[in-house]
Amino acid sequence: MRALIVDDETLARQLMLEHLGQIPNIEVVGQASNGFEAVKLAEELNPDVIFLDIQMPKLTGFEVLELLGERPPAVVFCTAYDEFALRAFEVHAVDYLLKPVEPARLAAAVERVRERLANRTPPPSAQALSVAARPPGKMLERVLIRQEGRVHVLPIERIDFVQAQDDYLEFVVGGKRYRKQQTMSDLESQIDPTRFVRIHRSFILNIERLARIDLYGKDSWLAVLADGTKLPMSRTGHAKLKELIG
Amino acid sequence: MHPIFVRRSRLILYLSVWIAFGLLLSVVLIFGGRAPALWSFEFAMPIALALGLQSLSFWYLVQALPPGQVSPWRMALIWCVAGIGSLVIWLIVAYGWALFLLPPGEDYPDNAMGTLPLLIFAGAIGIMLAVLGHYLVGAFQRSLDAEKRALELQVLAREAELKSLRAQLDPHFLFNSLNSVAALIGQDPAAARQMCFLMAQFFRKSLTLARERAIPLAEEITLVETFLAIERVRFGERLRTKFDVAEDVRDVAVPPLVLQPLVENAVHHGVAHMLEGGEVCVSARRREGLVEIVVENPCDPDRPPSRGTGVGLSNVRSRIETLAGTRASVDVDARETSFRVSILLPAMNPA
Repeated sequence: MRALIVDDETLARQLMLEHLGQIPNIEVVGQASNGFEAVKLAEELNPDVIFLDIQMPKLTGFEVLELLGERPPAVVFCTAYDEFALRAFEVHAVDYLLKPVEPARLAAAVERVRERLANRTPPPSAQALSVAARPPGKMLERVLIRQEGRVHVLPIERIDFVQAQDDYLEFVVGGKRYRKQQTMSDLESQIDPTRFVRIHRSFILNIERLARIDLYGKDSWLAVLADGTKLPMSRTGHAKLKELIG
Repeated sequence: MHPIFVRRSRLILYLSVWIAFGLLLSVVLIFGGRAPALWSFEFAMPIALALGLQSLSFWYLVQALPPGQVSPWRMALIWCVAGIGSLVIWLIVAYGWALFLLPPGEDYPDNAMGTLPLLIFAGAIGIMLAVLGHYLVGAFQRSLDAEKRALELQVLAREAELKSLRAQLDPHFLFNSLNSVAALIGQDPAAARQMCFLMAQFFRKSLTLARERAIPLAEEITLVETFLAIERVRFGERLRTKFDVAEDVRDVAVPPLVLQPLVENAVHHGVAHMLEGGEVCVSARRREGLVEIVVENPCDPDRPPSRGTGVGLSNVRSRIETLAGTRASVDVDARETSFRVSILLPAMNPA
């Protein structure tokens, strides 16, 4: 079994390396010290399992998992203390280790990973997991997009609007469009409802970008954005927007 | 709202005072002005109540002119003008009411002009009493407010104490440090031992200091140095530190564990997210009669969203204010690539 260790602390990586060295049939193929490096190495090395720290520079462990796409390797999260994450792991039956990592626990986790790999148990949904692990009251702060081998981090306040296409979403930032595999209702449930409104079946609007509302026909409106873009608005969308901006 | 109307008992008291004033006025009119008894009563009661009604407006002037904040001369002048104005209005009302009470066809009694000085005298007394009464009510109200504020402050201090106790035992810090110890035991037993000593020192020190209300700044600095030494074992080269504490502020009183959460934030939300690491800078010096303590760190504008709940800063702010009052302040300067918290507080010595 080929493993990747991801942790920003050198000592923590060394401890993991030492412990894994005691377990037969497991080979550490790489080590990453931040989120971007983790995504890159996971892609290049194609490990069977990643031992993934949660709090790291650039990307959290949850964000790394999200970026690993449709077929991520098995993941064992490592954390010193994160009550919200732990609850999410329990709910979604995700393997995790608590620091300081005990060799016996690590061996048991490796054993479970072997079983999962043998049974081809599908990994948990990265989206669902990161939503479940978010501390209460916190909304989505940034959207991560993987496009043509590059990772784009879009802070939520920079997004102008989101448009639903066939089976993906397009995030529009200053005229640039970024694609992501996600459903509209999924995004809608994560995003701050006081800043983003679903004005139409296929559109979520950042209300700070709204310049004015034009009447278009009976029961239909156009949202005109500050840059002149016009977006269709449904009757319920119009009602929601009205309620928010008064 | 006018304090008289806040409670029914106050309104009743106020009305009875003015009814008594009316009774007194009719007695004075009967004996002093030799007016018919019934007429005097009919005349005096309503105008007494009218004066009571007029006097309610003094409350707003009382609030605009709190004692001790305006010069006494100015205050006396304003009250003279207001009092005389009020008296004139009242006399006009009284004159109107007297005309109304006069039986049709009958002339004004001869002695009417004789009652005028009496009325002026009575009205002036009534107005003066009303002003004094309103000042008393104002003072009472202020003492109630002050008591409430003192209680609120006490609650805040308790809350801060609780939070600081919890912050000391930050589980993240403890478990991560233990993880470092576990790693070091295999590679560098001497360093592992050193780490144990540092941790013992930090926890012992923070437990003792937390019991105090205020401690010398130097003690807090030592605690923070120990904390950073432990974190340096974890983060290695990435965490750099700089201390710049002036000699003449080392004895200044600060609440215990007030810098520790700031430095902890500087590490966890700042330096820990920088790939190449960065420098946490702690400085303290005198500035314009106050003491300025600054914690500064670089940060990554693209750092991932924090997973903490972030009570540290508000806790620090409320504790500084509880100890040092309104002259103290906590300023936060959050930029794209840097974060800076500065505490300004008066130089006091720990009791």
